[in-house]
Amino acid sequence: MDSLIRTFSNAQSSRDGYQLAQTLSPDLPQQQLQAIWKSCGHHDAQNVIKRGIQNSTSGFEKLPKDEVQGWSDVYLAYWKAIGELLPALNQAPQSSWTKVYDAWKELLSALYRGYIGQGFEAWSIPCLYVVAKNLRFFALKADEERNNNVAAGDTSGQIFQDDFDPESEQNQKLEDCARQLNRIFTLCLNDRAPLEESRKWGIYYIINLLFKTYFKLNSASLSKNILKTLSAYRGDMPPLSAFPKSQQVTFKYYEGVLCFLEENYFQAEEHLTQAWSLCHKDAMKNKELILTYLVPCHLLTTHTLPSQKLLEPYPRLQKLFLPLSNCIKKGELHAFDLALQQGEDEFVKRRIYLTLERGRDIALRNLLRKVFIAGGFEESKVEGGPRVRRTRIPVAEFAAAISLGSKQMLETDEIECLMANMIYKNLMKGYIARERGFVVLSKSGAFPGTGV
Amino acid sequence: MQWSSAQPPPPGTQPPAAYPYSATTAFTPVQVRQTFGQPYSAAPPASYPPPPAYGPLPINPPPATPLHTNPAAPLTAATPTTTQEPAKKKIDWPESVRNYVQRSFQTSNLDPSVTRAEMEAKLKETISYANDQGHMYTVNWEKMPLPQEMIKEERARARALQQASHFSALSISPSSSKKRKSTDFSEGAAPPWRNGQNRLEDRITFNADKRPAPVEEAQSKSQSKFQKQLEKRQKRFDGGYKSTYREPTPPPSDGPVVGTCETLEKRYLRLTAPPVPSVVRPERVLRQTLELLKRKWKKEQNYSYICDQFKSMRQDLTVQRIKNEFTVEVYEIHARIALEKGDLGEYNQCQTQLKALYKMGIKGKSIEFKAYRILYFIHTANRTALNDVLADLTAAEKEEEAIKHALDVRSALALGNYHRFFRLYNDTPNMGAYLMDMFVGRERLAALCNICKAYKPDVPLRFVTEELYFESDADAAQFILDYQGQDLLEDREGTVMFLTGKAKELFEGPRKAAFSRVDIKGQI
Repeated sequence: MDSLIRTFSNAQSSRDGYQLAQTLSPDLPQQQLQAIWKSCGHHDAQNVIKRGIQNSTSGFEKLPKDEVQGWSDVYLAYWKAIGELLPALNQAPQSSWTKVYDAWKELLSALYRGYIGQGFEAWSIPCLYVVAKNLRFFALKADEERNNNVAAGDTSGQIFQDDFDPESEQNQKLEDCARQLNRIFTLCLNDRAPLEESRKWGIYYIINLLFKTYFKLNSASLSKNILKTLSAYRGDMPPLSAFPKSQQVTFKYYEGVLCFLEENYFQAEEHLTQAWSLCHKDAMKNKELILTYLVPCHLLTTHTLPSQKLLEPYPRLQKLFLPLSNCIKKGELHAFDLALQQGEDEFVKRRIYLTLERGRDIALRNLLRKVFIAGGFEESKVEGGPRVRRTRIPVAEFAAAISLGSKQMLETDEIECLMANMIYKNLMKGYIARERGFVVLSKSGAFPGTGV
Repeated sequence: MQWSSAQPPPPGTQPPAAYPYSATTAFTPVQVRQTFGQPYSAAPPASYPPPPAYGPLPINPPPATPLHTNPAAPLTAATPTTTQEPAKKKIDWPESVRNYVQRSFQTSNLDPSVTRAEMEAKLKETISYANDQGHMYTVNWEKMPLPQEMIKEERARARALQQASHFSALSISPSSSKKRKSTDFSEGAAPPWRNGQNRLEDRITFNADKRPAPVEEAQSKSQSKFQKQLEKRQKRFDGGYKSTYREPTPPPSDGPVVGTCETLEKRYLRLTAPPVPSVVRPERVLRQTLELLKRKWKKEQNYSYICDQFKSMRQDLTVQRIKNEFTVEVYEIHARIALEKGDLGEYNQCQTQLKALYKMGIKGKSIEFKAYRILYFIHTANRTALNDVLADLTAAEKEEEAIKHALDVRSALALGNYHRFFRLYNDTPNMGAYLMDMFVGRERLAALCNICKAYKPDVPLRFVTEELYFESDADAAQFILDYQGQDLLEDREGTVMFLTGKAKELFEGPRKAAFSRVDIKGQI
C-alpha cells in the first residue's frame, strides 16, 4: 500500500494520468496484490488509506479535502476489490468472479463520484480507462463462470417479464457493464470545462470499449445511438484526429464495420480505409481485422479482388479469400458455390458471408464476358473499317455457358432472369430481345470496367 | 366475453380426488344431492348454468337429517347416499354449521344469480377451510355470510380487480395463500367469510338488482384496506393524484412462483409487481386452458381474445419458470395463430422464445419454426439476424426440407434471382406462405424493375404473369395499373404486351419505398 501511495503522490505532483492509472490496475503479479491486500486490515483500512493520501501531498500541492476523501474512497474500493480478486485467481472455495465484478464496480462508482462531486481533474482520466477496461473483463469472467454453473438460477431481475429473456440471462454482468460504461460515456461527454482540461478527452477510449461490449452482446445496433449522440455534440468536441492514434484506428474500424453490417459499403470502405492507413504497420492482428471487412467491401464497390501481395502477410486471410477470388476471376460458378459453402462457417462467424455471396455476380459477369469475347468479331459493314465485336448474342449461348459453369441445367427463363440482373446492376450493358431470343449488348463497353 | 370470477369454473377444474377435501369431508352416510336439489330444480340458474362436470362430484355437506327444524326446509328426504366416497374420518359437524348450511338453502335467501353448484362449492370451501384451520367450533356461524353473498361479493370484487388491474395482488401475502384450496381465484389469502363482512348492506345492494353493482359502490361498501388502496391507485391512474409517490417494490421472491389459480381463462395484464400465486395457473390448469383455447379458436376465430389469452398463458409459464415441451407447444401454437393473422409483433416474440427453448434441447417443431425464422428475417431485411440464424444452423438442419426451402429463398433473393424466388414461393412448406405473402409484393416490384430495364422493347403480359407468379393476367395487369402503368399495356392482336422499353424508372420509386418500410412492432 505504501508503494502504491508513493506512486500516487508522484503522479499527483507530475499530473501524470497514466502513472496514476497504474495504481488502480488489477493486472499485477500475485505477490504484489497479496502485499497490497495484507498491508492493512478490515478495521484500519479506511484510516490507513486516508492518512496515506493526506500525507502524500504537501505544500502547494496539497489536495483539497474533498479530493482527499474521494481518492481515499477510490483506494479503499480498490483494496476491497483486491480482496475479492485474490481468492478468485486462486479459485478458492468461497470466491466468485461475480463478487470481483461487484467489488470492481464499486471502484468505478467511487471514481465516478470523484469526478462528479469531489473535484478529480481531467488529467487523471486514464484511471477511468484502466478501471472500465477491467470491469468489462471481470464481467466476461463472471458471466462465463455463472453459465458454467447452470444450476445457480439467479432470476431476480426477470420476475416482471412476460417471456424469458435467455440472452440477458447469459450476459447479465456484461449488460450491466455496458450500462456502467454508458454512465462513464455521459460523464465524459457532458463535461463543460474548457477543452484543455475536459473529460471529453476520455470519450473515444470509452466509446471504443462500449462498441466492443455491444458487439460482444450481439447488439451492435446500440452503437448507433452512441454515434448519434456523438455527432450531436460534434461541435464542442476536439476533432478525432487530435486523439491518440490507437483510439482513432479502433474507432474508425468500428464505425466501418457498423456501416458494413448495414450494407453501406461505400461509407464502410471510407472508414475502414482510414483505419487501415492510420494503423501501426506492425499491428498485424488489427490490420488483419480491418482487411477482413475491407476486402469484401472492395469487391462490391469496385468489383476488384485483393492482390496476392496484399494478402501475403496474412495466411488466415489468404485461406479466407483466395479460393473465392480465384473462382470469381475465372468465372467458375460451380467452384464458387463450393468455395462459398466450404468457407460458410468461417464467413458467417465473421459476418461476411452475405456480402461475399454477392461476389457470385462478379463471377457470372466474368463468365458472360468470356461468352462475349468468344463470340468474336463481325464483318465490318464498311470496307476496311475497324472490326466490331458481335453484339447480338443468342440467349442459348449464354444458357450453355451458365449451365456448364454451374453444372446444372437451367431453364431459359432463369437464364434470362440472371442476365436481366446483370443488366440491372450495370455489370453488363445491353438488353434482352425476348421475342427473338437475343441479347443485344452495347457496342462500347458491354462489360463496364473490364476493357470490353 | 365474461372475464371475472363470476364465471362458473369451467369443467375440469374440480379438484382431483387426491385433493385434501376428500379426507376431511367424511360424513355420515346421508344422501345429499337429490334432496338438496329437487325442490330447487325449478329455480333458473340464470346466466350461470352449472357445468356438467359438477354433477357427479359429491358435495359433502353436514348430515341433513338432524336439521329439520324448519318444516319448509327441503331437506327431509333421507334416501340413502349415492356417494362412493369412503368416509375416512368421521367428523361430528357442530350444530352451528348445520344451521348455517340450512340457512344457506332457505328459499328466502336464495339468489337467482347464484347457481346451486356455485353455492355448494362455496359451502364446501368455507366449511372445510374452517375445519382445516380447526376453527370449526370457534367461528361464529351465526354471523357468517351466506355462500351466495360471498359469491356475489367476489364477483363484485373481481370486477373491481379487473378494472384496477391486478394491483390488488400486492396486498395479499402469498404465504397464507398456500392453504387456499378453492377454485376461486379472485382472492389470495383471505378466508371465504372475510369477503363479505358487510353482510346486510351487501345483500341490499345485490339482492335488489341482479346486475353488478357499480364498481365504486362495491368498493366503498367493502371497505377492506386493500380495496381502498385499489381505489387510490385507480384515482392515480385517472390523474386524480399528482403525487410522484411510488409504491415500494416488494422484494423479489426467492424462487419461481407456484400458481394456485384454477380458472382456465385469464385476461392478460402486464406485470408491474411480483406475481401472486393465486392468480397464476399451474401447468396442470394451463394444459386445460390450451385445449379450451384451441377449441375456441377453431370455433370462433376471435383473434384479439385468443391473443390476449395466450399472452396471459405465456406470462404464467414464465413466472413459474416452466420450460418444457408444453411451453414449446404454447408458443408454437400462438406463433402459428399470429402468423395466420399477420400479427408479426406477437409472432416475433414467440419465435424468439422458441429459439431459446429449442436451444435448451426441448423438443418441438423446431425445423418448421427455424424455417419461419429465416423467412421472417428476410421480410424484415434484418441482415444481422439472418447471419446469426445461419450461424446457428447445423449441417443436418440445412438439409431439412423446410429450412432448405427458406435458405433457397434467401439466396435467390440475395442474387436477384426472381425466377427461382417465385418458383419457391409457389411451393412453400407449412405456413411459410403467410410470411412470404408479406414480402412478395416488394419482390415483384424489384423484379419488375429488373425486367423493365433488361427487356426491350416489350414482353407479353403472360410472361410477367408467369415469372412473377400472379394468379392471372388480370392480376398482373392490375398490379401494373396500381403503379400507374396504364400506358405500358398494349393489346396487340389479342395478346396483351407489356411495354418494358417505355417503363423507364416507373417502378423504382415504389420499389425503394417498399424496401425501406419494414417496420415491425415488437421487433428489437
